[in-house]
Amino acid sequence: MGANLRRLVSWEGFLLGILVLVIIVNTSRAPAYLSLTNQINLFQLSIEKIIVALVMTFVIINGEIDLSVASVMGLAACMIAVLFESGVPLPLAILAALIAGVCCGAFNGLWVAYVGLPSLAVTLAGMIGYRGVARILIEDRSIGGFPAWFTALGQQPLLGPFPLSLILFAVLFALAIIILQFSGIGRIIYVIGNNAAVARYSGIDTPRLKLGVFVASGLIAAMAGVLLAARLGAVRGNTAEGFELDIITMVLLGGVSIFGGVGNLVGVGLAILVILNLRNGMSLLNVTGNVQTGVIGVLLILSVLLPNLVQMARERLQRRTTQRKEVQVETETSASS
Amino acid sequence: MMAIRRNLLISISIIALLLAACGAPQSQTPTAAPAPTSAPTSAPAPTTAPSGAVVSATPGLNIDMILLPKFLGIAVFDQAHEGAKEAHAELRNQGKLIFTGPTAENSVAGQIETLTNAATQGVKAVMLSNNAGDQIAAAAQAAQAAGVTVVTWDSPIPSAQGETVFVAQVDFNETGRVMADMALSILGPEGGEFAILSASPDAANQNAWIAAMKEVLKEPKYANLKLVDIVYGNDQSEESYKQALALVDKHPNLKLIMAPTTVGIAAAAKAMTDEGLCDRVKVSGLGLPAEMASYTLSGCAPQFALWSFKDLGYLTYHLTYLIASGALKGVEGERFTAGRMGTYTIEKDPTRPKGLRVLMGPFTVYTAENVNK
Repeated sequence: MGANLRRLVSWEGFLLGILVLVIIVNTSRAPAYLSLTNQINLFQLSIEKIIVALVMTFVIINGEIDLSVASVMGLAACMIAVLFESGVPLPLAILAALIAGVCCGAFNGLWVAYVGLPSLAVTLAGMIGYRGVARILIEDRSIGGFPAWFTALGQQPLLGPFPLSLILFAVLFALAIIILQFSGIGRIIYVIGNNAAVARYSGIDTPRLKLGVFVASGLIAAMAGVLLAARLGAVRGNTAEGFELDIITMVLLGGVSIFGGVGNLVGVGLAILVILNLRNGMSLLNVTGNVQTGVIGVLLILSVLLPNLVQMARERLQRRTTQRKEVQVETETSASS
Repeated sequence: MMAIRRNLLISISIIALLLAACGAPQSQTPTAAPAPTSAPTSAPAPTTAPSGAVVSATPGLNIDMILLPKFLGIAVFDQAHEGAKEAHAELRNQGKLIFTGPTAENSVAGQIETLTNAATQGVKAVMLSNNAGDQIAAAAQAAQAAGVTVVTWDSPIPSAQGETVFVAQVDFNETGRVMADMALSILGPEGGEFAILSASPDAANQNAWIAAMKEVLKEPKYANLKLVDIVYGNDQSEESYKQALALVDKHPNLKLIMAPTTVGIAAAAKAMTDEGLCDRVKVSGLGLPAEMASYTLSGCAPQFALWSFKDLGYLTYHLTYLIASGALKGVEGERFTAGRMGTYTIEKDPTRPKGLRVLMGPFTVYTAENVNK
């Protein structure tokens, strides 16, 4: 645990270093980078992903994964569009989409928590299934023409220069830090992620907590889907497709272990800033999408391999030292006899 | 130790999975022609007698422009870039021409990002081959509000919101006429039997083109052309090849196979060449010069057509430069000169209620004379 803590501290330091570097390069190369408009755009362009990344941190620290988030986003977006088109008032449609998100999350959670199926398989099925439902609902169409108040919420500033979704992100980030890092529930989430058996024998209702985390994941994903529909002003069957990979990338880069129990929201927050600023800088410098994906990919490879490699090297070193000591002891004993 | 090694292996597989997923393009193929036109179109291909004010560009201005394709790595988009570069040099634009685009799997979000950041960077114009449907409209409107000229080409914004004009490559009705004209030219005034080898039975483009061709065939000029069969090779080379040979067996008097698909035309030409049938049955349709050159030179496929993406890029650049420099307002009825391509008019888009378009046309008809140029 102590070693893990040290590794994390240094990992966050590493992310902070990269972030500072990215900001310096962006500032010196792209004059428009520091403008307030750009700083807000930088968040807005990925706002739905970073909102879901917060709850994904809970899921992964809990030792699970949720691959279905982007499909839930797409399903929620398609639901409000289809319901609105058929004459349902938009607030009701939004409520229905959020309930659908809760149901998707509960469905995932029940199989994982109470039946004991691996979340990788369950949420992979969810990813395909929920997207399928979305596509059945909307078919091969594009639905738009939402009321002005709805698209304004997604596109216009609400408070000062800040749009609704950015304010929501800030509030959720604060809330997530309080719950995960400073509350009893947060500690239990870590314990389950570290060792589910220990958690169970300590009298923790593991299944209920896991179910809760998946329901939260579904709800937040559906909310992000509604925000995305408002920001884009139109919905298609492929809305938010592929977002789950970007979301998981942010969480892993933040130092959260894919095996659960390790990581925190400060790291994830830094990783989000690194990725967003890096993308924005490259985009302002007109770096093509291929290169952008490549750079982020290399960053991900480093983020998952580096800590593991360091740990392997450290253990090998330790073993060699112990072996040498044993050899020394043997030669000493044989010499004395 | 073992556990760590296993963890490492799992980590690597997860990365591989993520990367593999990143590399799988799922978007539809580009070059989708505009939706079928319902209104009659008198395709205003480059006209030579400009009446009224025809606007031409002032060279040497400083206008930064972005050419934004659906995604990168597609040959026809690179050809459009070539055309835009030609116009860029010709107009001696002091600004930059930037060719950038998203990856295939990030196309929608990537196009929105580029459009949004274009305004931040102070780019004056974006030329967009839209792959995001109406989802890009809000970003395009925001860019316009920030003073960026947005012109679409190849694929428009369906609602036309956020876009000034769409540069359409060809008109569906014109496709029908071009095919009828090629058939007439190959078969001569005495005409004869011909058959169509299409893609799949529910390919919207091809069906619309075939319907347009049937309309054109009703005109007295084409009275001797007899369409005897329509078959489908599903855009598979082997299936198209077999279908072409089956057509020859079924119709002993067949003189021409017309294939409005690049896969079908190449397969049919290969089938006729392989079986030594080229003297009896000719091949024509829509094809790629690189694939068709040898058959055209051998006389097996004496004529085929396609629109030029290079010209599309060139025309789009000229129009965008004119609008961004304020020489054109981008309203219906304006006329302008696009360098070597001649004069064009901004008109109502018959395929979109609120849209404006500039119709490029005509097709480039390839023969032994120009197929290798």
